[in-house]
Amino acid sequence: MPCLTVNGVDIELDEDGFMIDPDLWNEDVARAFADSEGISELNEDHWKVINYLRDYFKQYHIAPMVRKLCQETSCSLKYIYDLFPSGPAKGACKLAGLPKPTGCV
Amino acid sequence: MPEYKGMVQPVRATPDEMRKIFAEPVPDEQKPEKAIEYLDEIRKKFRSFVVAMESCVKCGQCAENCHTYLGTRDPNNIPANRAELIRKIYRRYFTLEGRWFGKLVGAEDISLDVIEQWYSYFYQCSQCRRCAHVCPFGIDTCEVTFIGRQLLHWLGITPKLHAAVGGAMEKVGNHTGLPKPGIVDTLEFMSEEIMDEFGVEVEFPVDKPDSDIIYIPSSADFLLNPYTLMGAGMFFTYIGANWCIPSNVTEAGNFGLLFDQYYTQRGNVNRLLNAAHELNVKKIVWGECGHGWRAAKMYVPSLADRPVRWPLTHVHDEAAELIRRGELKLNPENNPEPVTLHDPCNYVRACGLNDNMRTIMNAVTVDFREMNPHGVDNFCCGGGSGILFDDPEMYQRRIQLSQKKADQVRATGVGKDGNGILCAPCSICKAQLYPMVEEHELGVHVHGLIDLLAKALVWK
Repeated sequence: MPCLTVNGVDIELDEDGFMIDPDLWNEDVARAFADSEGISELNEDHWKVINYLRDYFKQYHIAPMVRKLCQETSCSLKYIYDLFPSGPAKGACKLAGLPKPTGCV
Repeated sequence: MPEYKGMVQPVRATPDEMRKIFAEPVPDEQKPEKAIEYLDEIRKKFRSFVVAMESCVKCGQCAENCHTYLGTRDPNNIPANRAELIRKIYRRYFTLEGRWFGKLVGAEDISLDVIEQWYSYFYQCSQCRRCAHVCPFGIDTCEVTFIGRQLLHWLGITPKLHAAVGGAMEKVGNHTGLPKPGIVDTLEFMSEEIMDEFGVEVEFPVDKPDSDIIYIPSSADFLLNPYTLMGAGMFFTYIGANWCIPSNVTEAGNFGLLFDQYYTQRGNVNRLLNAAHELNVKKIVWGECGHGWRAAKMYVPSLADRPVRWPLTHVHDEAAELIRRGELKLNPENNPEPVTLHDPCNYVRACGLNDNMRTIMNAVTVDFREMNPHGVDNFCCGGGSGILFDDPEMYQRRIQLSQKKADQVRATGVGKDGNGILCAPCSICKAQLYPMVEEHELGVHVHGLIDLLAKALVWK
């Protein structure tokens, strides 16, 4: 099982590099993921998306509809791909510590 | 890096994930013996399988008709050869010539290598049945893939994607793991979006008792396909239906059909029938999902543990009927872009939805261009049967598997000005085509058919 060590804490990841335990997330974990996703620096917009995803997930235990994510963060889908090259599901959700989306997505 | 002796394989499910869907993994040293035991049970039960094992004359008709072979040029992806991966074992253990002459008649001993080969190749077949469509003997290699995957599942080998989907279905009644609060929140959002964009008030009732109709959407609609979800709401509101969405089965799909028709597929069927019973409905209307519609229309009566007293129709059936009766006022000018239709394999080759889709298409668009071939002869999008793996090796495979589809779309010219629409009324097709149209640079957006219908509705 692959692992990411952040601030001395071992965080278990699944085969796609997503966190197995969302509760272990903190901002440093996001920064560690950013490196592997080819994101050199997390700016205000990155955090806006990440925080929205975390809040929604805490409340509803699922990632939001992509359209809703775009609207609530005022980021177009194209801009989200600019921020997170792997996209909203595989990029942003990973950095936000959400579990990997499953199904026909 | 999922590879076994040079063969790409999808990432496999862990033993815990398998146990969640009632499969107990078999230890490696017992796998070969168990494989033969299960194969023996299967061959005694399924005539379609025995036909495939014994009647193939290797005429090769299936080869150039399979998008998998066309995209990868790997000889084992020729349907006749894919079936041969089991046939060579079948021949060895269940035929006289195989037992006596072994390799001389193309019979082979079972081994872990063979089982791993099955895992690689049965998850490159999309169960699209185009091979069955052209086979002069009517051999359905999709049946062989069903059985190949079932055997692998019983041995404890299933892709993580499929097992996770099965587990999610067990837990919340849909493939994406959507819990009820998320469903309700998303539907409220959809109502707001419809008001913003179309100026119409549409409500999405959830779990409303004594509804006439329950609508079963694909759960992917709640994440990736907003217009399909909005479209369904608009359609039912337009016709004044007494409808609702059942929160514990918001899933038009049934991945059980694809890899485990014993527990997983059956479990989903019973869940559906429980919901219909509890809400006391009169009809079940299915959303846009290809394999799910086949699993529902063709398998529910025989897999159900009780008499099925509700008619099962597809939302396209309903819409097409109303269009034929002139009961929907439509303005096709609302869809001015050039459109082409990708026929989901299970719709056209397994469920007879060919004509109904076109009835709708012709009524709601002004520039509809058929791709070639189309209808029952259309090619698979490449993602069928859940081949939506995104680890790097399998993702590259998906690009190859969608090559034929890309060529077809390009040839229609709909994407020439970058504003084309590729209509693909199935969630797996959408999930495959969203990234693939970008990879192949086709200049099109992917939409469902109900999406286009909703845009064309003329409200009073």
